[in-house]
Amino acid sequence: MEGKVLIQFRNIVKDFDGQIVLKGINLDIYENEFVTLLGPSGCGKTTLLRILGGFIDANEGSIIFDGADIAKVPPHKRELNTVFQKYALFPHMSVYQNIAFGLKIKKMSKDVIEQKVMKMLKLIGLEGYEDKNVTLLSGGQQQRVAIARALVNEPKVLLLDEPLGALDLKLRKEMQYELKRIQQEVGITFIYVTHDQEEALTMSDKIVVMKDGEIQQAGTPQEIYNEPINRYVANFIGESNIIPGVMLEDYKVKFDDIVFDCVDRDFKPNEAVDVVIRPEDIDIVEVDQGKLSGEVLSVLFKGVHYEVMVETLPGTSVTVNMHVIRNQDVTSEDGKEKISANDFYVDIEDLKELDDKEIVARADAQAWNPESDEYISISKIEYDLKEELGEYPVTFSTAAGTSVQRRIFVVNQPFVKNERANEAVMAFNFFKTVDEITESVALDTDLKTWANAQGWKLSDEEQSVDISVDYDFDDENISEGIYQITFSTTGREFKIHTTDYVEEGKEVGLTFFPQDIHVMEKMEF
Amino acid sequence: MKRFSQLAAPYVVWVALMILLPMLLILFYAFTDSGNGVVNFTFTLDHFIRFFTDHDFLLILWRSLVIAFKTTVICILLGYPIAYFIARSSDRVRNILVLVITLPTWINMLVRTYAWIGILTQGGLLSNILGFFGLGETELLYTESAVLIGMVYNFIPFMILQINTSLCKMDHSLLEASADLGANKVQTFWRVTFPLSLSGVISGIALVFLPAVSSFFIPKLLGGGQFFLIGNVIENQFITVGEWNFGSAISMIMAAIMMLCMYLIRRVDEHNSGGRKKRA
Amino acid sequence: MKKEKRIFGKVLMVLMIAFFYLPIVFMIVFSFNSGRSLTNFEGFSLTWYERMFNNRDMMESLYTTIIIASIATVVSTLLGTISAIGLSKSRKFLQKAILQLNDFPIMNPEIVTAIGLMLLFITFHVERGFWTMLLAHIAFCTPYVILSVMPKIRSLDPNLADAAMDLGATPWQALTKVLVPQIMPGIVSGALIAFTMSFDDFIISYFVTGGGVKNLSIMVYTMSRRVNPSINAISTLVVVLITIVLVIINVVPVIRERREKRHEKITG
Repeated sequence: MEGKVLIQFRNIVKDFDGQIVLKGINLDIYENEFVTLLGPSGCGKTTLLRILGGFIDANEGSIIFDGADIAKVPPHKRELNTVFQKYALFPHMSVYQNIAFGLKIKKMSKDVIEQKVMKMLKLIGLEGYEDKNVTLLSGGQQQRVAIARALVNEPKVLLLDEPLGALDLKLRKEMQYELKRIQQEVGITFIYVTHDQEEALTMSDKIVVMKDGEIQQAGTPQEIYNEPINRYVANFIGESNIIPGVMLEDYKVKFDDIVFDCVDRDFKPNEAVDVVIRPEDIDIVEVDQGKLSGEVLSVLFKGVHYEVMVETLPGTSVTVNMHVIRNQDVTSEDGKEKISANDFYVDIEDLKELDDKEIVARADAQAWNPESDEYISISKIEYDLKEELGEYPVTFSTAAGTSVQRRIFVVNQPFVKNERANEAVMAFNFFKTVDEITESVALDTDLKTWANAQGWKLSDEEQSVDISVDYDFDDENISEGIYQITFSTTGREFKIHTTDYVEEGKEVGLTFFPQDIHVMEKMEF
Repeated sequence: MKRFSQLAAPYVVWVALMILLPMLLILFYAFTDSGNGVVNFTFTLDHFIRFFTDHDFLLILWRSLVIAFKTTVICILLGYPIAYFIARSSDRVRNILVLVITLPTWINMLVRTYAWIGILTQGGLLSNILGFFGLGETELLYTESAVLIGMVYNFIPFMILQINTSLCKMDHSLLEASADLGANKVQTFWRVTFPLSLSGVISGIALVFLPAVSSFFIPKLLGGGQFFLIGNVIENQFITVGEWNFGSAISMIMAAIMMLCMYLIRRVDEHNSGGRKKRA
Repeated sequence: MKKEKRIFGKVLMVLMIAFFYLPIVFMIVFSFNSGRSLTNFEGFSLTWYERMFNNRDMMESLYTTIIIASIATVVSTLLGTISAIGLSKSRKFLQKAILQLNDFPIMNPEIVTAIGLMLLFITFHVERGFWTMLLAHIAFCTPYVILSVMPKIRSLDPNLADAAMDLGATPWQALTKVLVPQIMPGIVSGALIAFTMSFDDFIISYFVTGGGVKNLSIMVYTMSRRVNPSINAISTLVVVLITIVLVIINVVPVIRERREKRHEKITG
């Protein structure tokens, strides 16, 4: 594939109103190559393409095209053509006129134009469509006309800006093959911009993965898939299990407290790394034969294979007491109002954030008219909290004077840390009445709210961790008393693609070969 | 929701009474004789015959069409470059310029037309300016030029706004595509920009030509008694003479000619816009 | 070459602005002229304003204009909005027919609409004056309201009202709490168009009025035969009035937005 270098991007920098979108791009593109610029929206891939097309100027850097700097060359003099995102077909021209546009500009003779246009129509499979109105064509046909309109000028490079974005899934697949076929037939360089990793893997000779205006990795689809350079690329291309680990020495990596053989080397001793294992590279075996073992959490049928989630490390959990108490509604003297509220616990550190609204919510204070069932608003809340551990009274009352007094327990709630899994969880004891539990529509969610249960990453407190709820009472027939509720996170999970069915809940072993482990440098943020 | 459909009922009655019935009345009056009201009437084509056999009326109609045509052409020639410049400006400048053009249209047309009298009159601002450049002191007020200036002044904002809208609506990537395919700026303008903005020009023509043909206060204020247009004839028939039947007939003739003109312009547009056109 | 084009464009813009605003500025300047001349500025005075305020005809016409524009705006906005909502839920045939007729006053030359309405009042022996003028104004303003509200209704999810009622809203609540707030921008711009159309109207008012009832445009038209700088004075007053209205219209949304932002901050 390695032919002559056709285009060289040299340190391209671009900002829009001070916002930097390209941070110094260096990239070589060869003749007859199908290059894909891949990345999420806003990564700068389209900007790079538009700089090459000449529609915007770079702030810094140069583009060498076929040996000459083209920074000053206006778009209509560049030897490349573009297929635009929404095709940009001229709506006032027929299919023929659209394709012939560039040739007419070059003042070619009529019969030459006719010959070339007809050849293009044949290439894209739209013979007989020449007099059709382009606005009446289907998306796929418009797409083909746009390609023909560009290719008829015999450019050295064809730029394609997310050309399949507007098509439906089936058509997109068809066009992927079609594009690859056309590229091989005309034998020129295609530079293709997309955010679809599958498109990139299917068509490209070279994939350039971009993020935030920088190239993360450039290489063949195989290189990118099998040897992603970091967590970002691994996540963007295909599915993967990414585990933080430590590179002990060459060919030895440790993660989840186990040392594994691998084929990677040239890291610093004890360097922190990310480890990738692709779901299809893991095999499920008997427990005693696995390098790792765990419980099957879920099995999803995906058509060709099953997607199995196996938990090899248990999560973090915390258990709290739920005090189920008797109904304590207060009824006003005239019997027209009822009011209820619960005692609740609060962490001393959260005391500053506790305002009237929050207290009403935590105490679940409500007032209502027992006849009409209409809610009455709580108009007054009286309390006197100090930043000390202890028990404080709080009174809720309505405008009519019906009131109820409850307690706020200010406690120093310890949280459960799990350094190995990089997470922590915390929850509070709480008080509820029988009615509140039996009437709950979504009990799991309510329990989390009532206990104010939270889970977060130790490395980044802002990042929350999903927690699940476990209890063993019958919520339909619960009576007063104290019940234990456990809130826990999931631990280390592996995603495995396998064609063999396994049962949920089964203990299994997991195994993989040293070459299936790919060790990457930690990403800097 | 069927229940909501009943909300339209009052308007159905209103439309029948205040829009449809008046139209029918014009038709009715145009084809009947001025008997005493609606009860005794006879059908007649006399009003139409009278109009088409009177040399003066035909001359006035012709003059109205010519001046409306001139107004339209001037509005296109002046309005297109202005609209083009506005469309090419940055968003902020464009919004300001559109506002600048829209603002005067919010002010009473009569008032704005009246304001020109002082400028166009003998010894007025314009003749002073022209005199300064040695073009001689010309009195413009109460001439065809004055009427023309008044019409352009009143109607050009519609032309500019229509063309500007069609230029702004144009997908910018079409211009990029044109450049990408090798066309320079001039080629891009004539092959892509201009043909695609024609729809704006056409609706601009509708908004300039139609009111210009039927205008009657502009010729009255700026043309004095000398410059009589078809609108003035209709006004006279209704307000001064009181010949409603004849007036209705003239309005019908005018409306018919306008519709014919617009139809022809639309046809030309359709013919020109490609896609449907066979390649030569 | 690019620079030349810029300069050409700028010169063009300056000329255009001069063309649009010169007459208005000229009129304002000469409204303060102490003499009667429209060509020589003889000195600053408020004579013409004094005469204007003392001229009963002028003051009455201003009053008539404002009253009619206000009533016509309120009525046509209500009628137009309600009708547009009703039409959007009507059978396609009826909707199409009514909307076609609705376009007539907009597409027709004004003079045709004017004589149509005049003939209507003559035929049914309605005495022409204030009330006929008001009716006529409502008649030509409502189509513009419908025209500006209809696209907003069309862009709504057709199930919106049903969803509101499914959640327990009465049809009235669905209308006022869900539909109307969604189409508010269309209603506001419709009302604005209605107001200025009515405020500026000359042709239709001229044909349907009678009994000496005049709005501003008719007054200017009938007085313009003789030079009367009071017309400049009252025109200046109109320019000031319209400018105030425009400023309010442009400023109110900004204030509202600011208030909403603050509200968001408080509740958020």
